Amino acid sequence: MSRAYSASSDTRMPDGTLLFVCIVLLCGGLVMLTSASISLAESSTGQPFYYLQRQMLAVLVGLMGGAVMLRIPSEFWESAGLSLVFIAALLLIIVLLPGLGRTVNGATRWLSIAGINMQVSEPARLLILMWLAGYAVRQQAELLATWQGFFKPMLVMAIIGLLLLQQPDFGATTVLLAVTLGVLFVAGGRLKYFIVCCLAVVAALAALAAYSPYRLKRVTGFLDPWADPFDSGFQLTQSLIAIGSGDVFGLGLGNSVQKLFYLPEAHTDFIFAVIAEEFGLVGSLLVILLFATLVWRIVVIARQSAVLNRMYQAYLAFGIAIWLGVQSLINIGVNMGVFPTKGLTLPLVSYGRSSLIITMIALGLLMRIDLENQRAINGGSKRKTRRSAR
Amino acid sequence: MRKTVKKQSPKRKPVKRSSIVNEDQPGFNGRAYFAVFCLALGATGLFARAVYLQVVDEAFLERQADARHIRSAKLSAHRGTITDRNGEVLAVSTPVDSIWVNPSVLVAAPEQILALAKLLDVSSASLNEKVSRSSARQFLWLKRHMNPSDAARIIDAGIVGVYSQREYRRYYPAGEVIGHLLGFTNIDDDGQEGLELAFDHKLAGKSGSKKVLKDRLGRTVEDVESVRAPVHGQNVVTSIDLRMQYFAYRALQSAVNEHRAKSGSAVVIDVNTGEVLAMVNQPSYNPNNRSSFSASNYRNRAITDIFEPGSALKPLIVAAALESGKYRENSYIETSPGQVKIGAKTIGDKRNFGRINLQTVLQKSSNVGAVKIAMSMDSEYLWATLQRFGLGQSTASGFPGESAGQLNHHANWRDITQATVAYGYGLSVTPLQLAQAYAVLGAKGLQYPVSLLKIERDPIARRIVKPDTADSILSMMESVVQTGGTGTQAAIAGYRIAGKTGTSRKAAKGGYAENRYAAVFAGLAPASKPRLAIVVVVDEPNAGEYYGGAVAAPVFSSIASGSLRILAVAPDNVQGTKREALRLAEAGR
Repeated sequence: MSRAYSASSDTRMPDGTLLFVCIVLLCGGLVMLTSASISLAESSTGQPFYYLQRQMLAVLVGLMGGAVMLRIPSEFWESAGLSLVFIAALLLIIVLLPGLGRTVNGATRWLSIAGINMQVSEPARLLILMWLAGYAVRQQAELLATWQGFFKPMLVMAIIGLLLLQQPDFGATTVLLAVTLGVLFVAGGRLKYFIVCCLAVVAALAALAAYSPYRLKRVTGFLDPWADPFDSGFQLTQSLIAIGSGDVFGLGLGNSVQKLFYLPEAHTDFIFAVIAEEFGLVGSLLVILLFATLVWRIVVIARQSAVLNRMYQAYLAFGIAIWLGVQSLINIGVNMGVFPTKGLTLPLVSYGRSSLIITMIALGLLMRIDLENQRAINGGSKRKTRRSAR
Repeated sequence: MRKTVKKQSPKRKPVKRSSIVNEDQPGFNGRAYFAVFCLALGATGLFARAVYLQVVDEAFLERQADARHIRSAKLSAHRGTITDRNGEVLAVSTPVDSIWVNPSVLVAAPEQILALAKLLDVSSASLNEKVSRSSARQFLWLKRHMNPSDAARIIDAGIVGVYSQREYRRYYPAGEVIGHLLGFTNIDDDGQEGLELAFDHKLAGKSGSKKVLKDRLGRTVEDVESVRAPVHGQNVVTSIDLRMQYFAYRALQSAVNEHRAKSGSAVVIDVNTGEVLAMVNQPSYNPNNRSSFSASNYRNRAITDIFEPGSALKPLIVAAALESGKYRENSYIETSPGQVKIGAKTIGDKRNFGRINLQTVLQKSSNVGAVKIAMSMDSEYLWATLQRFGLGQSTASGFPGESAGQLNHHANWRDITQATVAYGYGLSVTPLQLAQAYAVLGAKGLQYPVSLLKIERDPIARRIVKPDTADSILSMMESVVQTGGTGTQAAIAGYRIAGKTGTSRKAAKGGYAENRYAAVFAGLAPASKPRLAIVVVVDEPNAGEYYGGAVAAPVFSSIASGSLRILAVAPDNVQGTKREALRLAEAGR
């Protein structure tokens, strides 16, 4: 272990394609964020680059966070165990305490600590994933053999999910559920439990939609937004109009009309619509392609970890792949009207500093795993340690 | 950690068969590929959806976009200017800005209403009420026709949902002096009265429109295309000479005030073209501020109101007599014993004038003489002659609400009708009609169509009477103004004047009122070579005097002297000037 801490002295570069895709998404995201938010910023704050400046600050924090992750051996997180869950639960409980959480648009998602606002569901998601990957490794036998092995992590997931729904944060719950099921699925959970689980989730979703009417409205709104384009279908129709206006080649950078107060949340959850409007089909296909590449490279790292029998790292990387893949899939799908509207950002692109920082930290963690993998392949010594342990 | 890994290896084998875990790559196996496959499927779905939205459904979505973004904006056209014959501006449209709001936006921001109220200098409570009452609407005028710099101050305050619209407001620099003739426009700059209405088709611009791209707050982002360019209104040049108009206005106003008359009108016509050079009325109003005046003040009485001309009609009767050939300039009429009985009615003169010639009939305004002349003529002939002078016919000036006067058809005439027509009763005219009829006498018997617009080409004249007849009447009428006539107060220094007084009792319920008169003077100046036909009517003078010669003739005198000077007409009575001045001084004018 002590040797692992000095591993950062290694001068090796992480996966080039991954790094390139991340930089393109990040820099392109900043450009598009500026384009999408400039009018809103101008009219509400008087500073056209208000959102850009704040996002740039988050990029700096994210870079620092990622650098820190690069220096911490991934085994550290594996050994942290259940304490990660406790931290996550603590954050999610604190935010619900009156006076501590900050409520925006009816959702109590932000924790204000020393003047810094943090959306707690973002770090919670990473913490849960770090624990879950470890659980899948530690309890693999139980997971494969017994129903307790499967339902214990699902219980943790349910508790965390309930806490998230108290905010409420339906989007974060969905991603967390997808990540949990994904990791457990890959780690070998029994199929019948998944089927039971999926049925339970569908039932829960149906109950939830029926229980909170605004949710139901969103669900029905997305199915036929043109039935009520001025109320429940408003945001979605505006998004579809933006995308459709883009045609094949788009209106050109900065020329979106929908961002001029027609499309709500144009700089956050609906930034994809603005990209599609300004760059057309070419732009939207490029964005989808970039995220597909991102997920593909992460899956490659996960596979490599598995080949090296670094199962914790494999599950962790795979979890991050599902996380980013599902989140971008849902976000873009919401923009295009194939999913009901949720409060989910487009990773690395949308305005949303907690999301950006945590995503960059997760990517830092991935690159650490990748570097460790490469060292294991070339160095051999470490790999031998791992192999012998097996 | 390692312990866990170790523990798990012996247990792996029994489970292996029931799951699809690949032994060679524990944890990363078919399931992982299946998950990745699902994500890839999702990405493919998004690909397909993007193609659908941006290629297949693109036309529909773009239509929806245009329906939301593209608005048509009005390009105001300004209304033509009205000027007098010398280019003096009488009516002009000046740019103003009107402030409107989107109540549904504004109502959501109470503190904005407060700021707006402060800017508009109204109470925030009343503004708040006004806005909330229309909260469901998208448009509400807040204040119209503001000084553009004041409007800019409000727009610059940057209150959401507050906009300005360029409009034009009509200003009338000459105000009440020419208000009746010009009329006015409404707040949307459409002609409502007078020349503004008559020539609205020419004056009114056609506002254009353009397509603009607007953001959701209603601010214009860019002009997409100009759909229709605005067509600005054409200018209208009236026949009025503003200097004469001022002169006439002042003279009439002081007379109406002096005699405490109910109303009054004066018309000045260019004898040789038919152009109206001045047209004034009392009481008047200020077209720039119409808030406090009653509708009756808006009437252009010189064109819309009729009166019985009384003795002022006699020159036309005499003209008809000369034309008929039955009379010559030196024909004599027996008026003894100073009265004549027609049917049951006795018509009398002030005194017995005895045997008098035609000139004296006019000079002394003998009713008996006029009646005898009229009765000697065929009624159809008399009627036709009067009609040719324009009586009972619209002058076709085009002025809205013009009255044609009243001249009953000869078939309906009885003897008494024919007799009363001789001294100007039983028929009625507008001041403009009378002026037109007199203009014929000043233009050697030719009639030019009345025009309220400056005419560019020589008008086509119509012969009404022989030149000799007109000249004869003219010289007869000169005697009216000379010593011994009824209209001596119409005389002016340096010029010869021909005219006729008229004093008519006003018709009332069941006959004629005892003490309500219309005082008239109609005449031509200068008599040697007439340039102007002037008619003055003062309605119901109430300060003792009521004769046309005492009330209307002085007004005629000051209008004529001022107008002739403005036109720089050479005096035609230089020798008489001194004598006349002395006479006027004696008369105590």
